[in-house]
This record gives sequence, structure tokens and C-alpha cells, in this order.
Amino acid sequence: MTDAATAAARGGRTAAALDGSIEVAGLTRDFGKLRAVDGADLTVPSGQIFGFLGPNGAGKSTLVKMLVTILRPTAGTATVAGFDVARQGGDVRAVIGVALQEVGLDQLMTAREMLVLQARLFGSSSAGAQETTERLLRTVGLDDVDPKKRVGAYSGGMKRRLDLALALVHDPRILFLDEPTTGLDPASRMAVWAEVRRLNQELGMTIFLTTQYLEEADRLADEVAIINRGRIVAQGKPSDLKRSVGDEVVEIEFADGDAAAQADAVLAPLADQRKLAGSELRVYVPRAAEVVPELVRRLDAAALPPAGLTLSQATLDDVFLRATGETMKEAEGDGRDEPVDPDTPATQKEATL
Amino acid sequence: MTDVLLLVGRSLRNAIRVPAAIIPSIAISVFFLFVYDAGLSSVGDLPGFKGSYLGFILPVAIVSGAVSGAGLSGQAIIRDLESGFFTKVLLTPASRLAIIWGPMVASAVLLMVQVVLIIALGLVLGLKPATGAPGLLAVVGYAFLWGMGFAGYASFMALRTKNSAATEAATFAFFPLIFLSTTFVPKEYIQAEWLKVAATINPTTYVFEAMRALLNGGWEAKPLLLGLAVTLGFATLTGGLALFEARRATQLTD
Repeated sequence: MTDAATAAARGGRTAAALDGSIEVAGLTRDFGKLRAVDGADLTVPSGQIFGFLGPNGAGKSTLVKMLVTILRPTAGTATVAGFDVARQGGDVRAVIGVALQEVGLDQLMTAREMLVLQARLFGSSSAGAQETTERLLRTVGLDDVDPKKRVGAYSGGMKRRLDLALALVHDPRILFLDEPTTGLDPASRMAVWAEVRRLNQELGMTIFLTTQYLEEADRLADEVAIINRGRIVAQGKPSDLKRSVGDEVVEIEFADGDAAAQADAVLAPLADQRKLAGSELRVYVPRAAEVVPELVRRLDAAALPPAGLTLSQATLDDVFLRATGETMKEAEGDGRDEPVDPDTPATQKEATL
Repeated sequence: MTDVLLLVGRSLRNAIRVPAAIIPSIAISVFFLFVYDAGLSSVGDLPGFKGSYLGFILPVAIVSGAVSGAGLSGQAIIRDLESGFFTKVLLTPASRLAIIWGPMVASAVLLMVQVVLIIALGLVLGLKPATGAPGLLAVVGYAFLWGMGFAGYASFMALRTKNSAATEAATFAFFPLIFLSTTFVPKEYIQAEWLKVAATINPTTYVFEAMRALLNGGWEAKPLLLGLAVTLGFATLTGGLALFEARRATQLTD
């Protein structure tokens, strides 16, 4: 690690003034014949909450592992806080905090022991590590847990919170959170969201957050990128992306797929953006209330009565649908599993609740 | 160096928290010492036998403890790989050498404690070391180096196989080496020629001889230097292999 990186990593509590950007160009990772990440391009400005959205097996974790330097790219380049992930791994690791999907906790240690160890490994003095430990335990709400309780006896939510605290011991400029709320109950999820916002707003920390939850990306992220089958299929502000498919959606359910297909043709003059999925037709329009009367009249005229009709706001799932031709749920049903990197034993498990 | 000490401390604390993993190794050593000394001590009465049989068999108890205790290092690495803690430490500025050395040194330190217990037991049973207390310290030193060697091998296998059962099995594959040596009698008393050859090429023999010189002979340069070369060489070789495997198995960029 260079002196500059060390000083930057340990220099203070405010990350905002330091480079917390991420630049990715043509990043690719192959596992044998399988291309897990295929030429990804991304730009994450400093101080942003960036949501990286995609179904299971899309390539999210593989891309994150390359950015945090534990997986070598097959091709392409990436810089994190200005450091090249392939050639300046030590510098990158000094300025990032990482909470991977698999919480890396030692079941035999206590939370305090783990935090002190982590802080000491990042160069804190013994007294400094103790101070950091107590502060972070308060931050993640674990300060009232029995100090002798070993991590193995923690619930899944407590493990996630401890993992987050471990990622923060050295006041990183950029925090990578790989599906931090997967498997958490709603209350724990809200608590993580609040903490992510606080870290970003109070400390100016860049947050790179992968998620398979549309709502999470929509509510938290300043900007999102959507990945499917290793390719980035959309990137932008959530509001802009949703507007690109039409602000509102008319979901029309028909008796069968034939009727839905006929309705698709009938309604083509009303809306350019439509998606037919089985017996359901989704019509994207700027203002649904203005279109619905005419839409119903045309369906009546064509003898295609809807079985159900719902108005809703466009979601990131609609963005995904438009970009990939399938919903997130359908994409997850493809059965593609994200490859596991070679240093992960077959028995490694995710934290469960 | 601080990161090595931190990770050694953490490994030692964890090892102590699972006493069931340490006790069998100590039990095997004590068993060897008691059973072989009780059953074969008359070998010490053979003409030309130098020193006591207790001093002769005690190194066998120590080396067997090193083999059975070496698994601790491998199992600790497997546990860290499975829990994701290994990756967590990889993401800190700690060197990979420190990450590998943590469980290795802890395993060797535990072996030293075990050796001290065995020596204490030996003294209770009547052991009179030819080189006195300094010689006993040297025996502990040889045990540390030999323990580092086996711990390095176990760590290498753990990183290579990433499988607990395979690592344990690979470690126990070394047990025959203990017996293809001057385990129970000096080389000149071994009758089978093939066993004499095996004992000559088996590095374990030279560890036995070095410890036996300290316990039964004196400060004899040849066996002590040969023993040092073998233990140091073994520890360097297996430690190097473990580090190489850590670099190969992890995709960490430099």
C-alpha cells in the first residue's frame, strides 16, 4: 500500500473530500466457458449511493468481487478511488469497506474481539481499536449484547449488522454492500437502509450496493445499473429509467393469451411501449388516466373484454422487462447460478436467519 | 509482524475454545510414552544401548503429537474458508504470509505446550536429560520447528483441497513415517534391511536422533545439526508450499 493510500485510509472521518469514484470499462470475467460478467461499463461518482440490481445469478457478486480485488478480471479495467483493481489491489483494499453476501464471521469469537482484530489489522492502535469497537457497536445497535456471547450464537440479522460494522472499522471512502438485506426481516432491512443513508449523507461515503430487491434500489439509490446474464442492460437515475418506459402502466388481464395478443395489436396505436406476457398485457403511457377510457372503448369495439385492469406506476422491474424481455422473477427462474470463485469452498454458506 | 502476532493470538484463543480438538493429540502422545516405555523399556538393557529407554522413546511421543496436532492448523484454515473469515482477512492490509502463519504458529505453539507437558511427565517417570535444562529447551525448539513443518503441510492441504476430511486424511498419511524409522530401537538393532534403508532416508529419523542426543547423549554436533537442517528444511518447504498455495488459490490482486 502506498503512503498516500494509507494516509487517505486512516486520515479522518470525512470521505467526501476524497476520491470515492468507481470507473469500470469492459470488465469481463470468465469461469471456464461461462462468461459471468460480459464487458461491463460503469461510472459511479464520488459520494453516491449506487444500486446494482439484477436477479440471482446475473453476475452482481462476481463484479463486486473483481472491484474489491478478490477476483481477477479476465479482461477490461476498473479503478476504485482512482486505484487500478488489477495492479493496485493493496491500495484499493485500504480505502474500501466490504460486506459480502457471505458474512465472513468467526463463530468462535465475540463481536468485540472481531472488531478489535479487524481494526488492529487495519493499523489502529490497541486503544484506538477499542474506541472504534465501542463506537461501531453502538452504531449498529449491538452494544447491549452480552460481551461474552460468541458470534456463532448471533441471529442472522445481528450477524449482518456486525458484518457491516467490520466493514467500517477503517472509515472507508467506498463501502461495498453485497445484498446486505437478503434474508432480513422488514425491520432489520429498514435499519440497514437507514444506516446506509446516514453513512452516505453524514460521511459522504460512496455506497455500492447490490440487490435483487427492486424496492431497495428504487428507494435508496441515487443511480442504478441493471445487470442480466452478465451484461449491464440499463443505467441511470431510477426516475429517469422509469420515465424511459413510460411513467405509468396499465396492466390488463385477459381470459387467455390469444385475447391478450389480439389486444396488443388493437392497442398499438395508443402506446408504443407494451409488453405481452401470457394472458397479461402491460401498456406503458405517460398519464394512464387520460388513456384508459379510449383503451377500454377500443377493447370493447374489438370484443376483447378485459378480465381485470390495474393502473400503477412504472417500476424498475418494468425497466428490466423492457431491457431484457422478461421480468426479474422470470430471469431468476432461468436456473443460471452465479459461479463461485475458486477460493470459496463448496460448503460455504450464506448467513441465514 | 504485528499482523502475524494478532492472527496467532486469535488462532490460539480459538484453539483453546475447542479443547476437544487439542485433547486427542495430547492423549496420543501420553499413550505412546506410557505404553512403549512400559512395554519396551527392557530394550534399554541391551548391550551398547546408550542412555535410558525413556529418553529414547520420548521423542516418539513428541513427533506423534506433532503429526496428530498438525491437523489443527488445517482445520482452522478450512473453518475460516467455510465461514468467509479467510476472505474477510484477505481484504485487510494483513499479508497472506500472516494469514497462513496465524494458524501455523498457533499450532506449533500448542505443540510446544504439549511437549512441555510430556517432558514434565517424563521427568516424573525418571527422565534424566544428558544436557540438562538447556537441552530440554532445545528439544522444545526442535518440536516447534517440526510442528511448524507439519502445520505448513496441513495448511497446504487445507488450501489445496478446501475440504476438512481430505485435509485430516492427508495429515494422518504421515503417521507411517513415524514407524518407518528408528522408532523403537536404534538403527543397529533393526534386523530388516529394507527398514534400515527406510529409516536412513526418512527425515523423521534425524529429528528422533537430535532429540535423543539431547536426552541420552550430550551436545553432539552431527545429530543436532542434521536434526536442525531437517526440521528447518521441512518447515521452510511446507510453509513455502502453503504460501504458494494461498497465492494460487486466492485471486487477490497485488
